[in-house]
Amino acid sequence: MGADLSLRNPADRRTSRRRPGRPQLIRIATITVLLLFVLFGFPQLLSLYYIDTMTQVAVYSMVTLALGVLVGRVGLVSLGQVAVLAIGAWVAARLLFATTQPYPVVLLEAGLITMVAGVLIGLPALRLRGLYLALITLMFAGAITVVLATLNFPNGGHGFTGYNGSLVHIPPIRRPAIAGGDPAYFRYAVIVAILMFALVLAHTKTKPGRAWAAIRQSEPAALAAGINTTLYKLWAFALASFITGVAGGVLAGAVHYLYSIGFPTQDSITLLAVTLMGGVYSMWGAVVAALLYQFLPALLNNWGVSADWLTILFGLGVLQVLTTAPAGLADQVPKDLARLGRLLSRLLSRRSPAPGKTT
Amino acid sequence: MPPWSDFEPFIVSGLALGGVYALSGVGLVVLYRATGVLYLAFGAVGAMGALTAWSLGQAGAPGWLTWLVCIAVAAAITLAYGVLFGPALAKRDPLVKAVATIGLTLILYGLMDLLWTTSGGEARSLTLPSDNGGFSVGQVQVDWTQVIALGAGVVITVGTGVFLRYTKLGTAMRAMANDREITATLGVPVRRVEAAAWLGCGVLAGIAGLLLADLVALDATTLTFLVISSLAAVLIARLRSITITFVAAIVVGLLHDLLTPITSLTNYRDMTPFVLAAVALLVMPRSQVMAQSREEA
Repeated sequence: MGADLSLRNPADRRTSRRRPGRPQLIRIATITVLLLFVLFGFPQLLSLYYIDTMTQVAVYSMVTLALGVLVGRVGLVSLGQVAVLAIGAWVAARLLFATTQPYPVVLLEAGLITMVAGVLIGLPALRLRGLYLALITLMFAGAITVVLATLNFPNGGHGFTGYNGSLVHIPPIRRPAIAGGDPAYFRYAVIVAILMFALVLAHTKTKPGRAWAAIRQSEPAALAAGINTTLYKLWAFALASFITGVAGGVLAGAVHYLYSIGFPTQDSITLLAVTLMGGVYSMWGAVVAALLYQFLPALLNNWGVSADWLTILFGLGVLQVLTTAPAGLADQVPKDLARLGRLLSRLLSRRSPAPGKTT
Repeated sequence: MPPWSDFEPFIVSGLALGGVYALSGVGLVVLYRATGVLYLAFGAVGAMGALTAWSLGQAGAPGWLTWLVCIAVAAAITLAYGVLFGPALAKRDPLVKAVATIGLTLILYGLMDLLWTTSGGEARSLTLPSDNGGFSVGQVQVDWTQVIALGAGVVITVGTGVFLRYTKLGTAMRAMANDREITATLGVPVRRVEAAAWLGCGVLAGIAGLLLADLVALDATTLTFLVISSLAAVLIARLRSITITFVAAIVVGLLHDLLTPITSLTNYRDMTPFVLAAVALLVMPRSQVMAQSREEA
């Protein structure tokens, strides 16, 4: 695998093992305030349309987070993450119809079952170089689309598939008792997402995170350092599948009705595109990616602009990220703003020729 | 199990499909060996060409012109991408190069959906004159398009093999597959050879797009993702042998169509590429894979 997607200069990598100093505390405080605002401010300020959209953003931020772990931390590329999401949603919907288990238990089960499925898919490909994994996941996405089209999502029927084509009154997929309404469910989704982000943080700050970083730098070197590369790659794949499965469970409750046409193969590709655009090296990137993926289309839809323009934009974004800005928007925008600020202040103080580029 | 006679027509259609997958696969392998790029936009550029040809046909252009335009569009887009982004990404990992072509896929996909929208339920079709006429083998009717498809697969595979073995350009491509830097040091115009590989791959994408639009359907999504079948063949051939690519492509096409008459499996036949590729990966000896990684590292 060797030189994967990381193009970053090692010199400008921030030292993450700093003692919690003042900047750190300010950062934690900012994040807390931001989260409180999202949890309590958003449901007050936004219309129902945008609350639903933000619920989707919360769901997909988990998916892009999972994909970001694979791509950014380990250097594995999955082109089938939406198919994994579909598995999670399917399992959750089936369990929600079949049992009266509390919602969090169902989410956990959906995550675990999806994890097993993801590991089974990843196992043959993980022995190989990254390109093979990307290809096999793309084919997997195509295959899952086929299976779902035949199997359909559970709609309250009986049997293994839980699908009854002749059902007239299809019952909605239930939500947790404490989060029946849309604003409450939005908060629920955000809290689940926060837990998933914390789970990833717990991984990246400890042994698995260091092993992944070593694998990303150079697999032979990691092997020589005594790291069980297959185990840790599989671990990353399992973690990503688990998080995506949980996201699928949240999605099932959010939309009430699931249809197989809602998970086409091309969405997996678009998802990789936005994840790369958002930035795979930071967790903010996952949020940015989810906003690109769910919020922008909702906004354009409101304005009556075709979503095809977004597809084109995402395509251009991928090429831009891979050629010039490997750390994505989450990294690029603050840098550009800082650079722009410097440029402006220089222009204001003295009209000297500015060497820095603004883009 | 349905009687054998039910399978017979599907042998013909499967071989035709396999032929197109084979020529696509050969194009993908040659480009990958020469430039290190796995061209995932192969299906999308073919679809772009086919849809452009359809529009020209609607405007009253003669058939032969629309076919040429189809191939020219696919070749032009591919060459432009290769010349613009090839050098910029030349030193990157094959995975990065492959993901970059996904960017191109999305751009083309968005454009096609914008220009030839399917939301109106308008069904398009592209028919070649070779659909009419043909001959029959026993009970089975074979049309000329199917013959052309399989024939093109065979001719392209053999032709590419000969080209790589005996021509100067082919030798340069094989040299670049081994080591780009050393080849450049030896005085081979690396960029020009790469451009030739891109152009060749684009032409094949155009031909594949034209044939698949006739054999399968003229639809942006279908054509874009039919590349998955060729990718399976390429993967089974471990991105190197064009002979294995050809055989694997024929098997993928044939198996896919032979599953059609079996009622219990017919809905799952589109999984064929995935299943075959996954099985191939499982039985692939690890030693070979590791050797390959070292070579390409």
